Amino acid sequence: MSRAFAVQFRRFGLPGATVLLLAGAGLLYTVRWEWSPGWMSLVMSQRTYLMLSCPVAIGVGAWLARREHRAKVAELFAATPRPRHQRVLLTLAAVGGAVGLAQVAVLVVTGAWIASTARYLPGEAIAAAGVGVLAVIASAWLGTALGRLASTPVTAPVLAVAGFAAILSVPLAFHEDWQSTLASPAWGMNQFIEYQTIPGRVSAAQAILAAGVAVAAAILLATSRWRTRTAAFLPIVLGLALAVTVMPHDYDRVTIDPVAQQPVCTADTPRVCVARAHAGLLDEVTPHARQALALLAKLPDPPTSVVENTNTYLDESTIVRYGADTVPFDVEVGDDGHLKHPEFLLDRMLDSGGASAAGCPNGFDVATGMAAGAWLSGRQPRPDPNAGTYVVGPGETPPPGDDVVATRLWERLRTLPEAEALARVEAVRRAALECVDARGLLDGDTR
Amino acid sequence: MRTMSAAETAPATYAWAIHAEQLQVRAGRHLAVDGLDLRLQTGVHGLLGPNGAGKTTLMRALATVLKPSGGQLTLLGEPVGSRADLRRVRRGLGYLPQEFGFYPRFTVREFVEYMAWLKEMPKRAVPAAAQRAIERVGLTAKADAKMKTLSGGMVRRAGIAQAIVNDPQVLLLDEPTVGLDPEQRLDFRELLQDVGVDSCVLVSTHLVEDVVAACTDVVLVNEGKLVFQGSPEALMAHGEEGDAGFSPAERGYSALLRRHRGAAA
Repeated sequence: MSRAFAVQFRRFGLPGATVLLLAGAGLLYTVRWEWSPGWMSLVMSQRTYLMLSCPVAIGVGAWLARREHRAKVAELFAATPRPRHQRVLLTLAAVGGAVGLAQVAVLVVTGAWIASTARYLPGEAIAAAGVGVLAVIASAWLGTALGRLASTPVTAPVLAVAGFAAILSVPLAFHEDWQSTLASPAWGMNQFIEYQTIPGRVSAAQAILAAGVAVAAAILLATSRWRTRTAAFLPIVLGLALAVTVMPHDYDRVTIDPVAQQPVCTADTPRVCVARAHAGLLDEVTPHARQALALLAKLPDPPTSVVENTNTYLDESTIVRYGADTVPFDVEVGDDGHLKHPEFLLDRMLDSGGASAAGCPNGFDVATGMAAGAWLSGRQPRPDPNAGTYVVGPGETPPPGDDVVATRLWERLRTLPEAEALARVEAVRRAALECVDARGLLDGDTR
Repeated sequence: MRTMSAAETAPATYAWAIHAEQLQVRAGRHLAVDGLDLRLQTGVHGLLGPNGAGKTTLMRALATVLKPSGGQLTLLGEPVGSRADLRRVRRGLGYLPQEFGFYPRFTVREFVEYMAWLKEMPKRAVPAAAQRAIERVGLTAKADAKMKTLSGGMVRRAGIAQAIVNDPQVLLLDEPTVGLDPEQRLDFRELLQDVGVDSCVLVSTHLVEDVVAACTDVVLVNEGKLVFQGSPEALMAHGEEGDAGFSPAERGYSALLRRHRGAAA
């Protein structure tokens, strides 16, 4: 690294980069629940907040251009032999390197939070993070170029606000996901499902467009005549054309990564599996899962393995129903990257005798499932922190919670002889496996 | 001590470091330099003239910042025209503009090193050259201070340091003594004499006494034209008791200007 570059990096690049790093890392730490599940979640969350990082980078670039203008060095530099484009490239490299590094540093600082729990790092996450770095660099360069063209005290704030408005509103002008995704690097990055991904071709298209904008900004800065400045349109037009070609036009913003759904299992038996996206949590899940299998063993034809339910329920035709030998369960990750409410994991695994009714077309009686599970564990049903709440109108009385109803059923079940109670729990399990109504199976006369 | 490059030790192939013939330079729409003839070689030359005489415009043209609009200008044997490749000439130039712009957050060393990079000095030579230039202007103690923390006189000295960092063959200093205290001005005169041993130094100033004390040659311009070129003694010889001024040099200066204005009228 040359001394000239080091000086420019320190004096021009670092102030803006520090702002981006502090703001970016600070912001992400306030929304840890968004990205604590894993690397792809973190990258997508950071990409979402490009809606702020890019405008800030534009403002930083314009502020630097203003500083250059106020320094009045043009006269002095004009008498030096170094070609203008070399000087501009050095400045761009220093500014771009610093803000790009800040974007990476945000990932490093936040990544440290989940380093012990996040295992699955797909290439798509690296590519998506790279697009974020490119977008921030292109924004800073664009801000520098525009700031030079209109060097006024209000240019930087105006450009930052305009950039924020544009990054939010321009994607809304399009109807197709692929068009909106090209219009903004922050668009469609909310992760609804932890197996979600950004396809490589989408990142490639976005990277091409960002590179086109960056080159256009460099041309604007390196040239001093309006006629040559018009050449800046060329990389934008070329980049856009190439990006439109590369971008999959059937792109759905909720694209699932099948590798993230693949099971990662314990080497020993009984087998416990989580999705690859949650591989780092296998050790936390295993003791709860094996305890559940041990308690379920009193049932006839008991399940022999516990597997993470990787159904996304986006498309009914793709829903996988687990067999009687498997206890499916949902992994929920807390803000700290570890299992969320692990003390309830056993209860959930035992619900309906270890059979999940999720995906049953007519639903399933939650309280009955909870009561069956509680009888197996020997513990009174508890309100699940993840359970939804009823919405009631003014003056209405909310219905009793599932745990209250389940407790009533559980108490009645306990009054029954052991064999009778077991048979009723087994009936609930069968109902869940077959997606039939389980109401009345625990407290009715028949089973 | 520093290592001289082969290019630096090679004999000059030109007669004059600065050679202007019927030079015309515009400052905006105004023809600020109008048919100026000038020949300068190694030594310290003081450029004198009243406000609006065209001194700064001439300095800017010699610094290759402004393109001549007429006549001939040759610097270090290279013609300076609208299509000329000025890169080689500029490597041999040092320039301190009247309004010295700088990056306030850079330290003195950083700024001088950055200017050395802009002057395309060999990468390895830059740190030592910057240190030497800073020492020569007496800013060693402030080398690592930010430019924005310097006093006006120190900023001027930093400006001179960047101008001499590449050991220029032509050094152009526009009002270099502004902001310098009397002691610093004395040091500056010594520096000029030192640099002028093997370079062509052109110093634009209002201070006639500085020119007399530090320069081997005086160039007086008015209304864009050369009024006088000669030694300080010759300048003084033009003055008479009745002429305006507190010293022989000032009287010579005002006498020459008065005669030039009279002839023009």
